[in-house]
Amino acid sequence: MQKRKTVTRRQFIKGSIGAAAAFTIVPRHVLGGPGHTAASEMFGGALIGCGGRGNGTFGGLGPNVEKRAICDVKFVGRTDDKMIYTDFRRVLERKDIDVVAIATHPGWHALISIAAMEAGKDVLCEKPMTRFIAEGRAVVEAQNRYKRIFQLGTYGRFGQSKNKDSILTHKIMASGLLKSCKAAHIKPGGLKVRQWSGIVNATPQPIPPALDWDMYCGPAPLRPYHPHRFGGSHRGYWDYEGGGLADMGQHHFDPIQWKFAKDYTSPVEIEPYAPPAHPECCAMWGWVEMKYADGLTFVFESREWGEPYTRKQERGVSLDDLSEADRKKIEEMPDPEPLVKFPEAIRTRKRPGGHAEAAHRSATLLHLANIAIRTGRKLRYDPVAEEIIGDEYANRLVNQPMRAPWHL
Amino acid sequence: MANPSKKLAELVSRMPDPDDRGLYCTDIDKERIESAIAQIHKGGRKNILGIIDMLVEPGKGDDVKAHYALHVLGLHVCKLDDDGPRHQFAATLASELASDRPKAVQAYLIQELQAFGGKEVVETLGQLLDDEELCEPAAMALVAIGDGAAEQLRKALPRAKGKRLLAIVQNLGVVRDANSISGLKKALDNKDRDIRITAAWALANIGDVSSADLLLKMADKTDGWERIQATKACLVLAEKLAAAGDKSEAVNIYKHLRDTRTDPAEQYIRDAAKSALATAG
Repeated sequence: MQKRKTVTRRQFIKGSIGAAAAFTIVPRHVLGGPGHTAASEMFGGALIGCGGRGNGTFGGLGPNVEKRAICDVKFVGRTDDKMIYTDFRRVLERKDIDVVAIATHPGWHALISIAAMEAGKDVLCEKPMTRFIAEGRAVVEAQNRYKRIFQLGTYGRFGQSKNKDSILTHKIMASGLLKSCKAAHIKPGGLKVRQWSGIVNATPQPIPPALDWDMYCGPAPLRPYHPHRFGGSHRGYWDYEGGGLADMGQHHFDPIQWKFAKDYTSPVEIEPYAPPAHPECCAMWGWVEMKYADGLTFVFESREWGEPYTRKQERGVSLDDLSEADRKKIEEMPDPEPLVKFPEAIRTRKRPGGHAEAAHRSATLLHLANIAIRTGRKLRYDPVAEEIIGDEYANRLVNQPMRAPWHL
Repeated sequence: MANPSKKLAELVSRMPDPDDRGLYCTDIDKERIESAIAQIHKGGRKNILGIIDMLVEPGKGDDVKAHYALHVLGLHVCKLDDDGPRHQFAATLASELASDRPKAVQAYLIQELQAFGGKEVVETLGQLLDDEELCEPAAMALVAIGDGAAEQLRKALPRAKGKRLLAIVQNLGVVRDANSISGLKKALDNKDRDIRITAAWALANIGDVSSADLLLKMADKTDGWERIQATKACLVLAEKLAAAGDKSEAVNIYKHLRDTRTDPAEQYIRDAAKSALATAG
């Protein structure tokens, strides 16, 4: 007798699409009472990266996801190849996993997101989406190649997209009617610069036996182990993240990027005010000013070093910036479609609100800022080619080499 | 190692002190740092060597300030209009590789060359592809530099094994070296799964049409992670071929995947192939 293969949630839906809709979902009352979720409505989920953010990230997958695997490089000696893993590749081989939540350090975010989509899974990935710019483009390409759902694990844009003033700003900016934008958005402080700095005089320590340090480092150089490079304080090292700017920057600027309708482009000028950067450790900086081609300015201001940013004041856009004829056009424009949340996206296959391109562009903001800080130079950026113009050495930070076998 | 000059030692001492947690967060004086580095730069090669002499392996002494000073000196020379100082900086670092300096110190110098080196150092980096410990950083520095990297990686390929072979295969794919195709095809049969997968990706990224059948066979006959990755290589190759105008071969790849991925678990591959076929026409 032929062995019956396990059918996952997604296969079930796909197989049902051509059939009568009445047979797609088994009615709850048939299976038994309130609170019971029909098997056909459940997705198989895996959590990759089980540190401080892990459970919160997994919760973002939604209520209809059953946790079937957890994976972390600190589980050496505990793996059972059923629920507990240290190697994400084993998890992705499983046919009963439909969606993954990724909460590793950001040096792994892009690679595991891409690998998960290559294995047919949908992805919810913690912020920052990536560690450098080229990773983001690779995630977008994987999303498009495999037609998967990708959502970034920061949700401010969902609230922003329901705010009346933000919707008006979004419509004005998206319309193309505002030729010269005088708006400036400044993020003053709250970027945890000191908190997420790296130890510059770390003495190597023995690797804990339960930790696969080589796998933890992954695409980054294999450095001597030190506990400060592991756990939340990994944020202080360029190898894994980009300091407080990377940790908090995408939380703040992703919704702002939506508000100003910049989900498909990037700034063209980036200027830092910072002391010379350390080669391995994130440290102090003052501010970074970024300008888009239309004049819109974003500023990261640390308020933890140097003089404050004083070049521009916070300023929005309004209908007063337009002619009367153009104001009428804005008033007649429909509001943008509501953003789709991850649980709905994986059921309906609609693009989620924090999709890969948008997330890549908001991650690009903080990567450009960090490149400017690390080089100490004013930069010009081509948002179409996604390259820094006329600065070969800064451009090396746009697409960084990876340690084999990891590659984009 | 020679003792640094008093003047150099004093200039390096002006770099910041870590605070009591080891962080560079307190009393970070930008002007003081940059002024000291500008003066160090005036001392040319002698000062660069003097700083390198101060470097030690992690945990073997305090070289925090020298470590930082060398990097900031690299940032400084890259800001100048004239490429001469950067060239001298990189050449000086390269001259201290393949020496009796500790491997960890050499690895740091290679890391700096990844940031600041140019074609003038690729030959020296290429020699390090034979070194078990330094091959990985050297390969990464070569691809960051770009110009001249492919030749060095290709020369090292025939004699590489294990971890070194993996690093070289991957980075030949990164630089898309079409002259390495025959060597990469051999790697498809390596007993190490990571090497096989990486070679498949490298051939796909190069866009080698002659590899299409090999990659499809690999994707068909393997399972698990290797199958996932070999299939990805097929899709990437098809995209590269279509972009290069070789639509017929791309279409063959897509049709093969569409027609052979009958397991419901691989429906998404069928769908990806169908969607790509619709675009490829």
